[in-house]
Amino acid sequence: MTNSTKSTITRRGALKTLGAGAGAAASLPLWARYTHAQSSEPIRIGFQVHRTGIGAAYGRWYDRTTMAAVKKINDEGGINGRMVEIVAEDDGTDPKRGAEVVEKFATQHNCDIAFGTLFSHVVIGSAPRAGELKLPYFVVSEGHHVASGMLNRYTMQPGITDVKSQVQAMAPYVASTLGKKVTMIFPDFAFGHDHRDYFTAALEAQGGQVLEHIAIPPAETSFTKYFPKIPRDTEVLYHVMVGPAVLTFVKELGEFFGPSAPPLFGFIDSLEAVDISSPGLEFLEGSYFWEGNPRYAQADQTEYDKAYRAAVGVDDNGASLSDPKDISTYAHMFGCWETLHTVKAGMEAAGYGGPDDRGKLIEAVEAMTDMPEGHDHPQGAKRFNGKTHQVFGHQYITQVNSGRLDLVHTTSIEDTLYPDEVDYTTQPL
Amino acid sequence: MIRRSLAALALTLLPPAAKAHVSEQGFVLLLPTDLYILGGVATVALTVLLLTIVPAPAIARLFRPLALNLPRLPILARLTGFASLAALLLLVATGLFGPTDPMRNPLTLSVWTVFWIGIVAVQALVFDVWRWINPFIAAARLGASIGIHPPFRTRLKTGKLPALLMFLAFAGFLLADPAPTDPPRLAAIALAYVAATLAATWAFGPRWLVQGEFLTVLMRTYARVAPFGRGRLGLPGWRILKSPVPGNAFAVFMLCLLGSGSFDGLNETFWWLQILGVNPLEFPGRSAIITPTLLGLLAMNAALVLAYALTIRLGARLAGGASFTQCFRTFAPSILPIAAGYHVAHYLASFLVDIQYVQSLTSTILGGPELHVTTGFFNTLATVRVIWLTQAGAVIIGHVLAILVAHALALRLHGDHRRAMLSQLPLALFMVAYTLFGLWLLASPRGV
Repeated sequence: MTNSTKSTITRRGALKTLGAGAGAAASLPLWARYTHAQSSEPIRIGFQVHRTGIGAAYGRWYDRTTMAAVKKINDEGGINGRMVEIVAEDDGTDPKRGAEVVEKFATQHNCDIAFGTLFSHVVIGSAPRAGELKLPYFVVSEGHHVASGMLNRYTMQPGITDVKSQVQAMAPYVASTLGKKVTMIFPDFAFGHDHRDYFTAALEAQGGQVLEHIAIPPAETSFTKYFPKIPRDTEVLYHVMVGPAVLTFVKELGEFFGPSAPPLFGFIDSLEAVDISSPGLEFLEGSYFWEGNPRYAQADQTEYDKAYRAAVGVDDNGASLSDPKDISTYAHMFGCWETLHTVKAGMEAAGYGGPDDRGKLIEAVEAMTDMPEGHDHPQGAKRFNGKTHQVFGHQYITQVNSGRLDLVHTTSIEDTLYPDEVDYTTQPL
Repeated sequence: MIRRSLAALALTLLPPAAKAHVSEQGFVLLLPTDLYILGGVATVALTVLLLTIVPAPAIARLFRPLALNLPRLPILARLTGFASLAALLLLVATGLFGPTDPMRNPLTLSVWTVFWIGIVAVQALVFDVWRWINPFIAAARLGASIGIHPPFRTRLKTGKLPALLMFLAFAGFLLADPAPTDPPRLAAIALAYVAATLAATWAFGPRWLVQGEFLTVLMRTYARVAPFGRGRLGLPGWRILKSPVPGNAFAVFMLCLLGSGSFDGLNETFWWLQILGVNPLEFPGRSAIITPTLLGLLAMNAALVLAYALTIRLGARLAGGASFTQCFRTFAPSILPIAAGYHVAHYLASFLVDIQYVQSLTSTILGGPELHVTTGFFNTLATVRVIWLTQAGAVIIGHVLAILVAHALALRLHGDHRRAMLSQLPLALFMVAYTLFGLWLLASPRGV
């Protein structure tokens, strides 16, 4: 095993090690792995989790996925023969606390790395502290802030794609299959604006056109008055409403259009962890959604998805095995699983022995490129960009069919790529 | 430093792409809450009307408790008190040295879920459980048994003002602190509070517990609403009629129980967040709004005390005979059933989730597996309706009881039915309006 902590990591060397198989620790004889694991200090991963605050619903599933991934990694011998231990801290879905938590990981809990968290503002608030402390900070937030160059060399997003690539990858399918004349309805703040900007540009590149941008004030709870603004020749209605009024939005949309609605295209973010067969959502029958990972097990389900579902305790409908009404955040939470497996691969490639090797870990992950679909990457194959610290991967478009979401299109990874906006490798470690 | 400032600047310039979750609020917005609210307000208003024709003796009979022949067990109460003190210290230790995840930490779950939501509710809805588990009485006894004699044994002239101030500080911590669930932080605060209370108890004697220790004051106050007490069982609120008229600070304390409880719903609404200029779909976190939250808490309590004082003054003027101060103090306990109703309504949803973490923790402590914590009941219209109507029911029942209690207090104060009615009219109308406010709070979209 690559336990030579002094080895210098080259891009090539790291790739070679990675290519040697999933987890070189697994190549140790069982007794050696066992004794090594028993006698070594665990690898401590600081898990920044939304336990309280507006992200708590996501936090619950991020926690389950993280614990399941760690169990799998430990059952398979840990990382470099050492067990993985999770040190969870609540960030309160609060940027200032996020930074404090990152600091605690480095200074109080002696964590090797920090990991976690979905909400972008927490990541943006925490990353500078991670950079100052030189603590590798692996985020699972799908914000574009990593690849935009806003953060720093110690912050990476290797387990989930960013919103820019997700949105732009939708344009080819929408334009070619659903229609070229699109009206967008989105909440009037940054989240909605990202969709507006990325999708409008991507659709135009496909020869399509956004007829109207309808921005809804974030505190709005009644929507009927906005619908007359939808142009009559709209071929596709693109919606990304979020917050408690989403169900009202869909219900009123249905009442407004009746059966004569244009095809609907939305992001599952609106209805993540919500039962698609909920009352009021009947109107969504036949409509299309982006999903980061299909909530419902598909006809061609891979063995990897099957094993992953079982490990995180989710059934074929994306609900908890314990309660069929407890819907998981399936479109996003795979990011925790895949990030931890990438951390493992990175630590093994770097011969990670302790905090002194943090820089080597960063370099090892930067050296990664293609990650094949497998038990470590059940959502699908990925391509990591070491310069922008952002991973790219397949996106899924599903259609509501009898109250479940059936896969109709898988984008290529190429659909999701865009020119680099930063080269973090030029920053000193 | 510069990099940090730049990052902070970027943070303000580039608002985050947050994903506000639908949660049960999405279903609440689909419910015909306007009709439910109308029904609730009408119920409370009807109670006021009914009281005009119900004869005075019937009201007095309504609150007459039944005697139960229960054994008194003072020794047992001492034992449970000591056990509670030991448990408290053990919990503080788990807060300092145990799991950092608040939902896996015994201290956080015990303080916020078991005690603050659960035991306070039992105290107000069932019986005076605090009498059995008050760790501070046990500590005071411990002090006495090792020969500590309080040097200042006289009654504090401040009344319950220290308890009022401590309660407001507690409410500020609960609502405005960025991390009230963080185990080591909570442990440090709990330890400091226990130490300060012990010092005060050993200095002033057990009297401190009923004048300065806000938890004991709060729990004894809520016990006045409970149906069981002193070996008797009666309509909730009967003990208010058997209790002495509170002093000024104590009367304000009672009002602040409701004011702080109400603010702890108001501060989550879209309405409040918009006042603060916060986008309710991308709540920036508690640390961004500490000062506005504290100011809001104080303003809400001040507004409630003022509104109550105005209705009391108006009623006193209409009825004549009793002074404003006398009325102010006499009727303040009638607010308690409303405060108890709010407590239940406000915390029901989070209790349904968090008590599962308590079960899971108990399971792991006993050597079992972690249990799945579900929020599936927030995911169907039928279950959300049951939860919402239960919350609304708690608010409405609280108001109906409050009106009955206030009426009984007025009859006792004024002696004749007509003057009692007149004195109560402004307060009763205020309570009807507060029902509307409370139900509106439950139905409003929330961003936190």
